[in-house]
Amino acid sequence: MLMFLDIKYAIRQLFKSPRFTAMTLFVLIGGLSISLFTFSFLYSTVYKPLSLPNGDSIKAVTILKNGNFDMLTANDFTQMKDELNTLAEFGIYQESTTRVSIEDSGKSYSSARVREGFFKFAGVEPILGRTINAEDTVVGANPVALISEEIWQSDYRGNNEIIGSTIILDGVVTEIVGVMPAEYRFPNTARLWTTLSDDVLKPEGNNSAWHRSYARVKSGVTITQAEQEMTQVLRQIHQENVKLYQIEPSDLQVKLMTFQMAQTGGEGSIVFSFLNAVALMILLLACINVGNLLLARTLDKQKETAIRSALGANSVRLVSQLMWEGVLIALLGGFLSVLLVAAALDYTNMALQSWIPSGGSFWWRYGMDGATLGMAVVFTLVTILLSSFLPAWRSANQDINTTLRDGTRGAQSKKAGRLSRLLVTTQVFLVAILMLIGSISAYIAHSFINIELGDDYSHVMSARFQIPTDKYPSEKQQLNLTQELIQQVKQHPSVVDVVTNNWAGTRKLYLDNKEYLRDTEVPTADVIQTIGPLATVGVNLTIGRNFNVRDTQQTRKVALISESMAKRYWPNESAIDKSFTLELGEEKHKMSVVGVVSNRMNPSTMFGKIDAADEIYISGQQFIASYQVFFYRVLPGTENADEVFYRAMFNTDRSIELTYQVQPAEQNRNKMRESMALLSNITFITGFFALLLALVGIYGLTANAVAQRTHEVGIRRAIGATDLSITLMFLKQGGKQLVIGLGLALLCFALMAMGFHQFTEQLFPVMSYYVLAISVALGLSIIVMIAIFMPTKRAIQMEPSVALRYE
Amino acid sequence: MSALITLENISKSFLTEDIETRALQQVSLTISQGEYLSLTGQSGCGKSTLLSLLGLLDSPTKGQYWLAGQDVSTLSRNERAAIRCKKIGFVFQSFNLISDLTVSENVMLPLTYQSGVTSSYIKDKVAEVLAKVEMSHRANHYPSQLSGGQQQRVAVARALVNTPDIILADEPTGNLDSKNAEAVMSLFDQLHQDGATICMVTHDPKSAKRAQRSLEMFDGQLVGDVKNTESNFTPKAVGV
Repeated sequence: MLMFLDIKYAIRQLFKSPRFTAMTLFVLIGGLSISLFTFSFLYSTVYKPLSLPNGDSIKAVTILKNGNFDMLTANDFTQMKDELNTLAEFGIYQESTTRVSIEDSGKSYSSARVREGFFKFAGVEPILGRTINAEDTVVGANPVALISEEIWQSDYRGNNEIIGSTIILDGVVTEIVGVMPAEYRFPNTARLWTTLSDDVLKPEGNNSAWHRSYARVKSGVTITQAEQEMTQVLRQIHQENVKLYQIEPSDLQVKLMTFQMAQTGGEGSIVFSFLNAVALMILLLACINVGNLLLARTLDKQKETAIRSALGANSVRLVSQLMWEGVLIALLGGFLSVLLVAAALDYTNMALQSWIPSGGSFWWRYGMDGATLGMAVVFTLVTILLSSFLPAWRSANQDINTTLRDGTRGAQSKKAGRLSRLLVTTQVFLVAILMLIGSISAYIAHSFINIELGDDYSHVMSARFQIPTDKYPSEKQQLNLTQELIQQVKQHPSVVDVVTNNWAGTRKLYLDNKEYLRDTEVPTADVIQTIGPLATVGVNLTIGRNFNVRDTQQTRKVALISESMAKRYWPNESAIDKSFTLELGEEKHKMSVVGVVSNRMNPSTMFGKIDAADEIYISGQQFIASYQVFFYRVLPGTENADEVFYRAMFNTDRSIELTYQVQPAEQNRNKMRESMALLSNITFITGFFALLLALVGIYGLTANAVAQRTHEVGIRRAIGATDLSITLMFLKQGGKQLVIGLGLALLCFALMAMGFHQFTEQLFPVMSYYVLAISVALGLSIIVMIAIFMPTKRAIQMEPSVALRYE
Repeated sequence: MSALITLENISKSFLTEDIETRALQQVSLTISQGEYLSLTGQSGCGKSTLLSLLGLLDSPTKGQYWLAGQDVSTLSRNERAAIRCKKIGFVFQSFNLISDLTVSENVMLPLTYQSGVTSSYIKDKVAEVLAKVEMSHRANHYPSQLSGGQQQRVAVARALVNTPDIILADEPTGNLDSKNAEAVMSLFDQLHQDGATICMVTHDPKSAKRAQRSLEMFDGQLVGDVKNTESNFTPKAVGV
């Protein structure tokens, strides 16, 4: 009954001040929504157990080789699997893109090559037919595949007779043995599952192919124990390989992590922690502001509270009574935030589906779930504690005699003043940090989006493929196949030109007549194997000639170098016919420069300037690679440009393995730009909301502080203080908090800027960080001063005689 | 004695939620330099409003107010503030000391709002007035560390520090016990004897009779103005 009365009273109070209620709700919903959305998004992306039976026990096996991410080879897997006692299940698979031929055209789908045990590991049964068994992976067995429910419905109209029928996958007639349920895409984005033959397990020296692997630990075994055992076994294998194949020893470590974490390269937890910290800062800001607004309300009721206390109400009763207003706002804010976040997560799902044709990883399914709801409850409870309980407790524990006596001793106002100053300083610090992080992220994203890349990918299609080395073991055969494919593509009337570009890594080069005392003195350049004119991708010849048919393995080794390299090593002379020695693998090759081409952004640098590093193009006819990145420019308006490559591939050899589907070359880059733009926008919105929160919060805190000091203002004015001196007094006091908060934030920023400077490979001059810091500091100072000035101005409008009577 | 303050037909109205409250109606009054007068009347009769107008804490709705020969009825807020910090000293019922400032900081406040006052002058003057009210030993204490009587003595010191033309006191003994009230009243007597002009609002008939002249108010109007025969003090000199 008493509680009902308190709630009724609180509701009446909220309706009585609709502006206060709306502002408090706005601040709370903003803070809660940003925190909740960030948590839910990151949790689903990195930590959430996979939506499979026993999904929490499904682990990806990742290898840290000298601290860098690596994968297991089939050989490693074969040798390890019988040595391990801590694992219940352990397997390998390969992810790929598979072309499904339908008459003259076809579609490409994400696929996985898997072995027996894969589907049992996932714990999902097919809705039709069977899964892959041991007989299917025997060398020479009939090719079989499982298709997804989506393919079954879209391409076969849900035909129940599909099992046993055939499908052409990458040119190979394959029997469909099963249909997997809707939404099943394990291990990542697969819509098709084919077999990973026993062939891969045959020992092939040290050249065994890399595979992804999965594991589940035995019941009663910890992840750490399993990791330790696997690391030990892998190190033993590696030591034997070092002796056997004379390879460089490496520090190896096995990590069992979620598939999501493995996808983020293990850095998911850092990003998760960082973004969650930012989101929690926003929530903290919101709590401070809501708490302050509610504190102002409870202080307004101080006399009422004192009367209630004098009439016999105990602390618990007073606290509960004072809390209800805040509790109702927090509950309503929490509820509305959950609705808002649910809508935002749904929108995120839709956006991802439209951006990523494959729909992305199957765990990229965002929506309101138990964990998010649980976190919403936690956040709401924290908000109630910080913004309702503490102000109510403070008010309920006031000195009633002082309050009822129209107190002038001021001990309480001193404490309140200190608290207010601390809160303003905290707000300034948090907002400054958020604004600085936001500005620097937006700056980096903006620079990344607008970075000069030195190429032209308009109307250019790209494909990546691997020549089957078992079928084409010699380099000559591989080169012939590539040239045949180039000719096939060129024959199409829509194709303007073709070039292959295969990045061979950053390599050392030794200039003639120059001695290098230390290894670190040896310069490097990005080496790209190429066949065909580079102008296809917008890299233009400026001096000399392109590669031609006479550049063969039997003739002198030739190179095209970038303008940056020509300028760096032969600044006042022509680079043509100059020579240098290039280290490729364990071999060194004497190279002659035959042409200079325009600069291009190096693949090895993410943020570097276009001329910061050099490129060396070597002829793909002289240095032959089985892996190729294939570019062809088509006429504008060409429809089904991807079909050009697929037809050429089928006419040349259907067994060529596409490692990435044929697509416009800009597509990947655009996706990255879009995601950077999204990141930039989110950061900007977050920073803007933080600024808005700060404005509201600091205004509220100052208004509260000024209101509490109205009487003092009256006294000061009674004894002769002018409006200006009172205003300056408040601005000076606010300025102190601003300087402390901003100073601390700038110190933190200095540390962060050093990190950013390294991360962006010193792309931005150091001066830009100063400009950024000064801009943010100035902007925030102006905002804070306005937020302090506004309530001060209002307070000094009051006549001193009124201010002296102000309670 | 020459007139320090002259009020002519002063009225003051307050408008709250469309209701006009006439706090003062056609009040005319002259206060001479060195005069010690008390202002009495029932609660709500307009005593404090009149005191606020005299102290330039508020401006009249109608009428004219001359202070030391200057028409101050239509001055701006800042002009009124400038006169307050030079010519007027206030003593309030609830002391109105600033809790975050020490005794000496509270006392020096009016001087800090004046331009051209040196810090050594402020220091000397603060020491002088604190000595006068016998509070030198508490100069570095905060108001919350003082008793009510001590706080009021500090308030009196603050009222004296700018050597005002007039001291306005609003129920100066209202929050004090009889012993402290007597001490404060004695201080006022002493100040008057030293030549100060004092105008004091009080409910206490005994305190009122210590002044030379008693004004009585009723419903916003002056209804009584009598010389007190019981008052034994005459000022020694003009000004404090």
